[in-house]
Amino acid sequence: MSDKRRIGVYVCHCGGNISDYVDVEKVRDAVKDDQDVVISKNVMFACSDATQQEMIEDIEKEKLDGLVVASCSPMLHLQTFKAVAQRANLNQYQYTQVNLREQCSWTHRDNMEKATEKGIKLVRAGIARTRLTEPLVNIRIETKPKTLVIGGGVSGLRAALALADLGLAVFIVEKEYEVGGWTKKWGKMFPNNKIGSETINTLREQIRQHEAITLFTGAELIKKEGSVGDFAVKIKLVNHEIISFDVGAIIVATGFDSYEPFDGEYGYGLNGVVTLPQFKEMVDKSNGSLNLNGSRVKNLAYIYCVGSRQPEDGDLENPNLYCSRYCCSAAVHTASCVADVDPGINQYHLYRDMRTYGKYEVMFEDAGNKKSLFVRFDGEALPEVKESDDSLIVKVNDMLDGGEEIEIGVDLVVLVTGMVPRKNENLTNILKIPIGLDGFYNEIHPKLRPVETVVAGIFIAGSSQGPKTLAESVISSLSAASKSAGLLMKGYVDLEPFIAEVNTDKCIWCGECEKSCPYGAIEKVFCDTKEVATVISALCKGGGVCIPDCPEDAIELKGYSDNQIKSMIDALMKEVV
Amino acid sequence: MSIVNPSFIEEMSRFTEFNAYACINCGSCTALCPMGIDLLPRRMFRHVMLGLEDKVLENTENIFSCLLCKMCEENCPKDVPIVDNIKSIRWYINREIFKLGRN
Amino acid sequence: MAVPIKHILGILVDNLSIRGSVLPLSKSRSTGWAKGLDIPMGGKTVIYTGHMYQLIPSITAMEKMTSKFANSWISKYYGIGRMVNKVINISRFMTWTNANERAKFDGMLRNIALLLKTAEVDFGYLYGEELYTGTLVYDEGINDVFEYHAHKVYERIKKHNVERVITVDPHTTDMLKSVYPKIIKDYQLEVKSYLEVLAESNLKPLKTLEQDIVIHDSCVYARYEGIIDQPRQLLENAGAKIIEPINSRKMTYCCGGPVESLFPIKARTVADSRVEQLTSAGDSSVTMCPICYINLKAAAENNGLSVKDISDYLVEAYCDRNNSV
Repeated sequence: MSDKRRIGVYVCHCGGNISDYVDVEKVRDAVKDDQDVVISKNVMFACSDATQQEMIEDIEKEKLDGLVVASCSPMLHLQTFKAVAQRANLNQYQYTQVNLREQCSWTHRDNMEKATEKGIKLVRAGIARTRLTEPLVNIRIETKPKTLVIGGGVSGLRAALALADLGLAVFIVEKEYEVGGWTKKWGKMFPNNKIGSETINTLREQIRQHEAITLFTGAELIKKEGSVGDFAVKIKLVNHEIISFDVGAIIVATGFDSYEPFDGEYGYGLNGVVTLPQFKEMVDKSNGSLNLNGSRVKNLAYIYCVGSRQPEDGDLENPNLYCSRYCCSAAVHTASCVADVDPGINQYHLYRDMRTYGKYEVMFEDAGNKKSLFVRFDGEALPEVKESDDSLIVKVNDMLDGGEEIEIGVDLVVLVTGMVPRKNENLTNILKIPIGLDGFYNEIHPKLRPVETVVAGIFIAGSSQGPKTLAESVISSLSAASKSAGLLMKGYVDLEPFIAEVNTDKCIWCGECEKSCPYGAIEKVFCDTKEVATVISALCKGGGVCIPDCPEDAIELKGYSDNQIKSMIDALMKEVV
Repeated sequence: MSIVNPSFIEEMSRFTEFNAYACINCGSCTALCPMGIDLLPRRMFRHVMLGLEDKVLENTENIFSCLLCKMCEENCPKDVPIVDNIKSIRWYINREIFKLGRN
Repeated sequence: MAVPIKHILGILVDNLSIRGSVLPLSKSRSTGWAKGLDIPMGGKTVIYTGHMYQLIPSITAMEKMTSKFANSWISKYYGIGRMVNKVINISRFMTWTNANERAKFDGMLRNIALLLKTAEVDFGYLYGEELYTGTLVYDEGINDVFEYHAHKVYERIKKHNVERVITVDPHTTDMLKSVYPKIIKDYQLEVKSYLEVLAESNLKPLKTLEQDIVIHDSCVYARYEGIIDQPRQLLENAGAKIIEPINSRKMTYCCGGPVESLFPIKARTVADSRVEQLTSAGDSSVTMCPICYINLKAAAENNGLSVKDISDYLVEAYCDRNNSV
């Protein structure tokens, strides 16, 4: 690029954070005469209001078309200085931040001379990149004020109601013929003993009365196109009819499956060995006494952590390493329900660690007060279940008694099974949202962005994201609803313009880029006389995987062009004299 | 290897209440025992609750060595009635093993 | 050979069943302390000794025998001893006591009576009608014998129309105040330890105790009955400076006494630990339970720690000895 540019460079002291280890004066001196640099200054705190104002005045007065601030990490202040550029009518994408603190002064406190040398190179690279910047414009999408909720369990229903209450239209797609998921099947649920099916009935009634909500049961999502704010979806209804409509956002609330023990796991398959969901059903149906095959249950044992916290180095191919969170609380709560049905039942809990966290601790205490007995086993020495003449025998080493081996004769063994991800391969392929190593849908950031996925506009709620209690599922579903509403109620969405761009002259349409893109953002179009690739700007994440896959070097990433990268490398390689 | 016997605790509680279900096995009691009996009272109570009668009787001397000083009970975070429980075990042994008492 | 728990307990049970006390005392021995004090027989309020102070010399004597037995051939014959004891009171032979010892413990009871009189408390005494409350069988868990005995004790007290009792030791206090009400229906007896009664009275010191005193709380007073501040208040009002040992108040440390009758060696180890704690806090200690007193006294024998019953200190400070009888 031969055009003359006018670049301003600001090298920050950060009050000593940088200048104690990097000679910032020397850095400024080294670049002040670089090509296209018209202003270079040392500043005490670049982020201070006064300095920001000074920069704005400089940009306007000197008609700068590029800005470089050499200060801290962009994580901290990229947005600050982008805003400075915008306030001075300089395109925000013509600003470059150089990290002179985290990646230079703080890491090289032992050698000021070398740190200064590195600082000079980093600033030069920043200038080189800036020299090749172009003004870029955000991609603005008008949003459709409608949300698709996939899954009609408690999470999906609650999210739908929340959105509808905000005046947004909602479509719920439920695969089963009835809504309610697991909750519908269960009786008393912790922590307030509310009957699961009653909870669902209440929600269903509210949904029925809401005009903004359309519910499809026995239905399935079969296609999704478009992008954040403007998705086009196709739903196959119960009568095989296919309907299409547009939505601005999608909430995935597909829930979990209960872990199904393998044959023989803790005696699974023997008469009297049941999973927690099966047992809950028995307890819910019991009346005055708990019966198995017509005879009264007198002694029962729970084995915890079945299907959860499986050993990494064991025989299992894909062990579930996670804790399923809800099961300890559910099991002690169930034990209290059992004691209420028949206080004479002896209940032995074989657990690894009791994780009735937070307020659920009181349920653990309650179970103890109702004479549940807790026996701790070690993850290295799991309990064994075998059959004897008239009962089941559970063998365990009691870690609370020095590992003493004990045998408990029981009528019933309850395997406290955890949560596993739903098998939703089709849906996952349609939505193109990532799955974690554990098999659950992955959020962008586990702390700060817990319900967003890397696909903008698609949110995950409830236990589709990982094991959760009912209460936690609702929290996450309301969070997804509010993120979704926040997106849609603004009316538009601005996307960063760092997307791939195809040079149609070079492109020969080989299809490699289409294959490599995980977001389906590349499609084939006709351009003049030939087939070429084009980028769907709303779908492109700027991931850049298509670029090295292109045999013709026909794709570039806006804002990070090959020329820019090369010029930065050259600047870094240039000797400091 | 010991066999758990649910009816033992019923027998134990026939005349007096034995209750250590609130125990969270923190071990404060054992740590504080002036007698330094590492079995008392936490593990002893487990043996009772699990019905491991042999283990209970093996420790008859320890059971009768308790000072009943309540150092453990005063500091029990779960308010287990430790001293009453010890006396219940004594009463069981006196009654069923030593055959002491009015009959 | 192991300690014959069964037979020792058996002798205690037999004695209580047959002779009304675990270690039978003659009436003259249990009431001798009150001679010449002019305490009226009976009344609405009585002092209740529960025989604890009087029994100590006998228990000490028996323990000396037991510790000799513990590892000897004689323990094999404990069972026979129990059979003989049912007919001939052998525990009486085992418990020859010495007159000096007896006079010391009787003296403590006299102190207490004198203190109550000085505080102008109106009280009587049941003399030979007073019974041992059954502490030892209760603690050892011989429940049916204990319950039978407790009813007998209560009936006896009620026979004399007593409404309030003033107890003199922690064990009897706990029995009458907290244990009996749990097993006796419609139990109606107001029970207070003399330390509580004195602390509530207008007792004024006549003499100043210019002394640092290491206080040894009784487990039963401190942890069972919550009697902690009263002894401190009485001693401090008299000018004494209370020194708290490492384990004090609710965290007090046992004297070892409760297992003396079965495991004297173990009891001594506990007493030694406690004496060490008390010694590192000061030279003079005070107890408020005859069992604590005798156990700590024995353990302190060779280490120079002075052990005194609280009544000795209180009488010195609050009573005019010349007025005593």
